[in-house]
Order: sequence, then structure tokens, then C-alpha cells
Amino acid sequence: MNDLLILLIKASVIYGGLLGTAALMTLAERKFSAWMQYRIGPNRVGPFGLLQPLADGVKFIFKEEVVPDGANPWLFRMAPMMAAVPAMLTVAVVPFAGGDIVLFGQNFGQLSITDLDIGVLFMLAIGGLGVYGVILGGWSSNSKYSLLGGLRASAQMISYELSLILVVLSIVAMSGTLDLRGIVAEQTGTWLLLPAWNVFQQPLAFVLFVIATFAETNRHPFDFAECEPELVGGFHTEYSSMKFALFFLGEYCAMVVMACLTTVLFLGGPEVPYWADAPWFLQLVAFMVKAGIFLFLFIWVRWTLPRFRFDQLMHLGWKVFLPLALANLFLTGLLVSF
Amino acid sequence: MVIVKRKTLSLAERLYLPEVVRGLSITFRKLFQPKITRQYPEDPLPTTSVTRGQPRLVVKDDGNIACVSCGLCEAACPAYAITIDGHETDRSIEREPEEFQIDMLRCILCGFCEEACPKDAIFMSNELELADTTRSALVYDLERLKRPAAALAERMDYIKRINKRWQTSSST
Repeated sequence: MNDLLILLIKASVIYGGLLGTAALMTLAERKFSAWMQYRIGPNRVGPFGLLQPLADGVKFIFKEEVVPDGANPWLFRMAPMMAAVPAMLTVAVVPFAGGDIVLFGQNFGQLSITDLDIGVLFMLAIGGLGVYGVILGGWSSNSKYSLLGGLRASAQMISYELSLILVVLSIVAMSGTLDLRGIVAEQTGTWLLLPAWNVFQQPLAFVLFVIATFAETNRHPFDFAECEPELVGGFHTEYSSMKFALFFLGEYCAMVVMACLTTVLFLGGPEVPYWADAPWFLQLVAFMVKAGIFLFLFIWVRWTLPRFRFDQLMHLGWKVFLPLALANLFLTGLLVSF
Repeated sequence: MVIVKRKTLSLAERLYLPEVVRGLSITFRKLFQPKITRQYPEDPLPTTSVTRGQPRLVVKDDGNIACVSCGLCEAACPAYAITIDGHETDRSIEREPEEFQIDMLRCILCGFCEEACPKDAIFMSNELELADTTRSALVYDLERLKRPAAALAERMDYIKRINKRWQTSSST
């Protein structure tokens, strides 16, 4: 088998997994919210409601597409794609398992679509593009609610991406590489009897990163781009049908990708604790469990915390997160160099 | 003027994170609480003898309908939902309905027919579901209204008990 075919197989498997996880997340969101409120949640479509995402998808496709008067037709149609595609692109560099995969006597190489030397940079750069979809969607809708939602998204994205990148910088300073596999390799072994994961070595960075991730993916308690009590639906007020669904696909893909990134940066990626050379499928399971914990956290926090006020969000971003991230980077730099 | 005293927050509360963890622990515990949702079509609410559902006609244990088509319920019905067409039989009870229609689109489920009936022949059953796709399907005919006495026994006992109490209290 030639390399191109192997790449195609790996890409379809990983993207299938990503989209499947995103679809399942919509169901999990409803299920967990229901359980937390003593309800049962969707259970009519398929066993345990497992086919609910499929039913939702079919329904979305058959809905009428409404383009409001005065909307910019090109940007209005492009915005959902702009929101969904970057979120999906970033999964290309995530190392899901170390070690070569040998199946049916065929060596497929390592389980990731590609390994970039600048993996972290790529993820943050492309992931940051996702906000353009939200801003453009808000602006091109020709509606005050959408515009405000888009504005908030952009302001929030800038304030939190800054802290997010500063936090990632301290991780990069520790491992001395932007390569995600390099960062994973740096976290193998043990540190004070614990796995040498960055979550134990950089607890402050971990907390800051996770919270900034919530802001970055527009999730509760920072979902100001949507903010339904104030802005009807925020940036997607005027969207309907599959275009609306694409925004959500993008949001959920971004969540999955961010959970993967957190796993790689702070939880040793696919490493099985205390067993550095575990076979690749066990590593994959370990990765999925770790990422799953963060995906659950996304849902868990959403159904626990009320939304912030916008000025509180800005206060937190600029006056708390930025100094803390800078201090953390400074201390890490001191420790690394001495 | 109302002066609202703000609670002075402790350091842990101002840090926000410990309180977040507290909130998260509460919602996590709620995950495992018993659910209160009732799965309606499979698991309907229990009904009692007091439930005043849709009117149904009693079929006695010998297989004959208890109704003698006297027309009292027809007259008592405030919504003109009942239409009775009677005929004679060669039994000792000489009359029975040939056709007995209740237009469920008109019926207001008031229970006047049940009160008016001198022969304990019509009762408000515990059947509550009333939905169909055409208007004509909701005009219930004799066959659709017949219920064996056993199915209505609880309601019959209840109504007889209530009537007896009313009779004794008015006679004193």
C-alpha cells in the first residue's frame, strides 16, 4: 500500500471519530443535563436515544433555509463553514497514540494524520480562525443581536487567547519543543512518584488553560456569543437549517479538539500511567479516557455555573488571567534556565 | 430607601474556584438521583375512582346493556353531545338503545349524564386519552362506548356511595 492510501485511511478514521464524537456530544449534553435535573433525557430514538444525533441531523437538513433581508449573502453562507472547518482541521496534528500501528500485516505508522514540528502553533493558529465564523456570521446577518454576539465573541477571543497562548508557552518552555509528540515524550516517566504530567508540574497553568479553553470554545460560563437571555441567540439568531447545525458542529468539534489539546499538553497525551511502552490500542484508550474527562467537564460546568457578566469576563481575562499567565511563564522560565 | 447589606466574602469565596468546585460537586451528586420523569405512554399516571374521564356505558354481567334509553342523560347533557335512539326488546326490561352516540368533540366531561342516569348505566370511566385524526372518528357509537361492568366497578361503587351519603344527609 502506498503512503497516500494509508494517509487517506487514517484521515477518514480520525475525522469519522471526530465527527462521531461531536455528534455524540450533542446527545451527551442533553443526557447529562437531564440527569442533573432528575430527568431522563432523550430515549426514544434508538437504544438509550443513541440515534438522536442522526435524527437531529436529518431534521436540520430538511428545515427551510432562511436568509434575512439585507444580509450579506456570501458572507452569510460562508460564516458557518468558517466556523466548522478550522475546528475540524486542527485535529490533524493530535497524536492519538504513540508507536507504530500494525494491522493485517500492514504498518500504518503512528496514529495521527500528520506530525508537524510546530503542532502547538498550528492548533492555536487554525483554532483561532474559528472565531471568524462567529464574527462574520454575526456581522453578515444584518441583525443587532447577531452583531452584538459577534462583537462579544471577538472581544472575548482576544482576551482569552492571549492568556491561553502564554500558558501554552510555559509548557513549551518546559519541553523545549512545539511538536506535540515532543511535548508528550517530555511527560513520560514519573515525577515525585506521580506521572510526570504537566498537570502536576504546572498546576496553575493547568487551571488557567482549562478555564481559558471554556472561553475559547464559547462554552458556559463564557458563552457570550450566544447568550440567549440577552441576545435571543447571539451570532446565530438569524441562522436556520443546516447552516445553524454547522455552527454547532463547529462548536462541538472545537470542544473535542480542545479536550485533545488539554490531554496532550497536560495529561501526557496517550501515555498509560506508569507503563511507558504500552501497546498502541491501550494508549488510544488512555487518550480517549483522558479527553473524555474533559468533554464531560465541558458539559458538567455548563449545567452548573451561571453565565458571567460581560464586564466580569473582561475583568477576569485582563486583570487576573493575563498577570497570572505572565507570572507563571516568568517562573517557569526561571526554573528552566537555572 | 432600602439599604442592601452585601455579605463580606471570605478569601475562598472571592477566589471563586473553591465555590465552583462546591457547585460542581452538587451537580455531580444529582446525576445519580432517582429520576422523576414519568414515561407517559408506557407508564400513565394512576387513576382512582374519583377520576372523571370519558363517559362509558355499562354492559351487565349477563351480556345485556344496562341502558334503557330513557333519554335522561340526553336531556341533562349541557353540550348536546348525546344522541339516543331506542327500541323495544322481548326481555323483561323492555327497552334498550339501538344507537347511542356521544360526540366526544362536544362532550365537556362534566359528568351530568352519570348523575342523571336512573339505571346506573352510564359512568365516567378512567379513560382519559382522546385523540384521533378525523372528526367522524370522535363521534363514539354504541359499540365504542360499551364497557363490561367489571371495568367500571370501582367508579360505580364510588358514585353509589356518594349518592347514599347525599340522600341520608338531605333526609335528616
